[in-house]
Amino acid sequence: MNPIPESVLNVKGQTRYIDDLPEAKTLLHAAVAASPCARGLLKGVDAGAALALHPSIRIITAADIPGVNQLGTAVADEPLLVAAGSEWGFRGQALALVLADSVSLARRAAGLVTFSFDELEPVLDAREAAAKGLIILSPRTQAMGDTAAAFASCATVISGRVESGGQEHVYLETQAALATPAEGCAMRVISGTQHPTGVQEGIARVLGLPMHLVEVEAPRLGGGFGGKEDQAALWAALACLGARVTGKPVKLVLSRKDDMRMTGKRHPYSSDFRIGVDSGGKILAFEADYYQNSGAICDLSPAILSRTLFHAASAYRIPNLRVTGYMCRTNLPPFTAFRGFGAPQAFFVIEAALDAVSRRTGIDGAKLRRQNLLCDGDSFHFGMPVENCRARLSFDRLVEKVKWESLRRNIDSHNAKDPLVKRGAALMPICFGVSFTKLLMNQGGSLVHVYKDGSILVSTGAVEMGQQVSRKIARVVALAFGVGIERVRVERTTTLTVANTYPTAASTGSDINGMAALAACQEIRARLLVEAATLLGAPAPELSMESGRVMRNGSPTPLSWDELVTRTHEARIDLSAHGFYATPDLVYDMKSERGSPFAYHVYGCAAVTASVDVLRGTWRLDSVSVVHDGGESIDRAVDIGQVEGALAQGLGWALLEDLRFDEKGKLLADTLSTYKVPDFHFMPEKVDVEFLEGFPNHRAVMRSKAIGEPPLVYGIAGYFAVLDAIAAARRTAVGGEGPGLYDIPLTPEKTLDCLMGARP
Amino acid sequence: MRVKLSVNGSVYEREVEEHFTLLRFLREELGFTGAKEGCGAGECGACTVFLDGKTVNSCMVLAVEADGSEVETIEGQALNGSLSDIQAAFDRHHAVQCGYCTGGMVLSVKELLKRIPKPTVPQIKEGIEGNFCRCTGYQQIIEAVLDVSGQAESAGKGELKHA
Ligand code: FES
Ligand code: FES
Repeated sequence: MNPIPESVLNVKGQTRYIDDLPEAKTLLHAAVAASPCARGLLKGVDAGAALALHPSIRIITAADIPGVNQLGTAVADEPLLVAAGSEWGFRGQALALVLADSVSLARRAAGLVTFSFDELEPVLDAREAAAKGLIILSPRTQAMGDTAAAFASCATVISGRVESGGQEHVYLETQAALATPAEGCAMRVISGTQHPTGVQEGIARVLGLPMHLVEVEAPRLGGGFGGKEDQAALWAALACLGARVTGKPVKLVLSRKDDMRMTGKRHPYSSDFRIGVDSGGKILAFEADYYQNSGAICDLSPAILSRTLFHAASAYRIPNLRVTGYMCRTNLPPFTAFRGFGAPQAFFVIEAALDAVSRRTGIDGAKLRRQNLLCDGDSFHFGMPVENCRARLSFDRLVEKVKWESLRRNIDSHNAKDPLVKRGAALMPICFGVSFTKLLMNQGGSLVHVYKDGSILVSTGAVEMGQQVSRKIARVVALAFGVGIERVRVERTTTLTVANTYPTAASTGSDINGMAALAACQEIRARLLVEAATLLGAPAPELSMESGRVMRNGSPTPLSWDELVTRTHEARIDLSAHGFYATPDLVYDMKSERGSPFAYHVYGCAAVTASVDVLRGTWRLDSVSVVHDGGESIDRAVDIGQVEGALAQGLGWALLEDLRFDEKGKLLADTLSTYKVPDFHFMPEKVDVEFLEGFPNHRAVMRSKAIGEPPLVYGIAGYFAVLDAIAAARRTAVGGEGPGLYDIPLTPEKTLDCLMGARP
Repeated sequence: MRVKLSVNGSVYEREVEEHFTLLRFLREELGFTGAKEGCGAGECGACTVFLDGKTVNSCMVLAVEADGSEVETIEGQALNGSLSDIQAAFDRHHAVQCGYCTGGMVLSVKELLKRIPKPTVPQIKEGIEGNFCRCTGYQQIIEAVLDVSGQAESAGKGELKHA
């Protein structure tokens, strides 16, 4: 019997996520008692009412932490539980852990824990935080050329302001962890995380243990999208703390509401830009200041800001550029990684600037964009040369595919006739750098066992969360040994098999882990071929493995895979290997802000059309067309799913998902009825995804390209398509240019305000 | 209270607290973990099961309300281990990513196809609009439904074309 593919387990309802695992008789359930306002000084915890509820209830506070009460890595600003005498930084921060013998009891008791505290004045706005000097680390600037001189020679210079809102991940499985005390003082944890080593490190610190006493396993996740990267550590560490204090297994599964109010989301940004072009529309200079609302905890904000700066110019050649980012500490939940990781915010700013130029100068948006696209021979503003650039290629292919000019004409003639429904279209290129922006993270390991019956087990640091990284890795391994994919099983990630891994994130999951797996396979393969050479009396260089057989100069020999494995084992040769991969050629100097931080870039182009109901302000997406540079795909069906899923999230961010807080920092959108995510009706009838064919990428595993994040950015074109329709209405109703403020998400409510002239 | 009901054809009888939802009863008491809690508030459809022939959000039904009923869960769909047509179509069309929404989605599709054997794309959207998926962007799910309802031509080209 062969392993059942995960997709089959999934459709049968047999996949076991954390909350589906059988429960030990002694299991305790946990819930979190959280801070009641955005900023406060904790004086004491009153657990009386909670404890009175049931004898099984236990309350655990910061005083019970045996190790260091700190999870923050870049900055030590993330206590596991806020201690009495210290401040908390956002509404929903963990103050106490409640344990009980059922979930409902634990959650009810958590609601009964009260706190004595001094309420302090919160800061919610990024610019206000910056003005007050509440900046994490220090501002960071990247520059090329001389913007001041260049602006002086521009025919048109435009400044503007851009806002983009936060975004909740809404992975369908909420954050969860199950901790079991093991012998000695070891701890075994199953954690819904994209970063098992990070969780292991956090737990080790909090419990005061060396890392080798903490074992973390990441099972298949019910979605991650970045939200379970650094943000998973807290819940796993809390479960471990409960397990350490009680000596019993502890499970912590967040309710949807708790997950929404307590965990991190995409960073809101508020930005200023200044762009200058010559009379023909060539961009000569661009400046931007990005105020990143980092929330109350630093978390991954520095790495995210860094990706913002690297993507400031998108796919455009800008000879003079200066961009600065500020990480602004506010009293909102800790903003964190979310698919795109700071890049979408930067893309939105440069696209807004180009939109403003196009509307002011009257130069057609597509023409304006095309003439400024990057080409081979250019360099990015941080000094990395542009190579294998597919910006024009995908742009031109898309223009041809959607017949852009006639599409535009049709829309204009429709708009001239129809006063009630206006249509709009927008087109945008992308250029997305692949690699972790933090150099050190670009490494990964693997462990491959060939068992003596010829079946193969692979472990890597890649966590499976629906992106089918295990399927891709299985394919890489099967190909390396020339056997069917059914002979390969990819094991869930644990810190026991592969150590010191980095998160499955930055779209690098299959790039890094696929390569690490391949490295191990190649080692075993070489040993097998030496044995095959002896057995067949043929020189090893003439031998290869294919279709479950040893081949000599391409023709089958009598030696099968199974027999070769048995004979190699009998010859007492090791059939296991550890593999390692570090992405080559990455260099970056933070001081000079120069280097080549990416292995390669992903290009592509999207066009979106939309209609706006002028009286109601409601919009509808009519079509999305994409031409995407995906290299040679390891699995095309998987890649299409990644593009379509990312598109839905990107369009959702641009148009729909409204992460609203009240003036005291309380999250208003804390359920799925108040926070709207794309449903079946949101996506347009026409979604057309085409991959550029015939462009292998020699810088990643099996000539593929990373696929997870880049297509999310296409969602921004949805914003501009709706804006285009609004502009068509306003030209007749109010007259004038584009908006004075570019503001994501462009919800129907805001659309109506724009139409009525209530917004700039 | 005592509750007696059948799940996927087998009868179960248990003592249950009044506030227990059908979802928790199925998962925690009977071990049918294929129904998932995505929201616990009737908003996501991950907990969808059949209750006396109609799909319900099992997080919104009390276990005691299901007394005497016939319940069907995702675990009951693959007969003798082989996938139902809908399940097979989901697998074939890669309509599954993280899989958390999948069980509920498959059951809602089953209910839709009972009512409308050959639904149009708008009918599909309306029929399973209560089920929410954060991973796929829905296209491959719609294709799977078109395919399993014998409209494979429209699943492979035209509106939902994948080059
Ligand atoms: S869990 Fe029942 S609808 Fe979401
Ligand atoms: S596959 Fe993940 S929510 Fe649908």
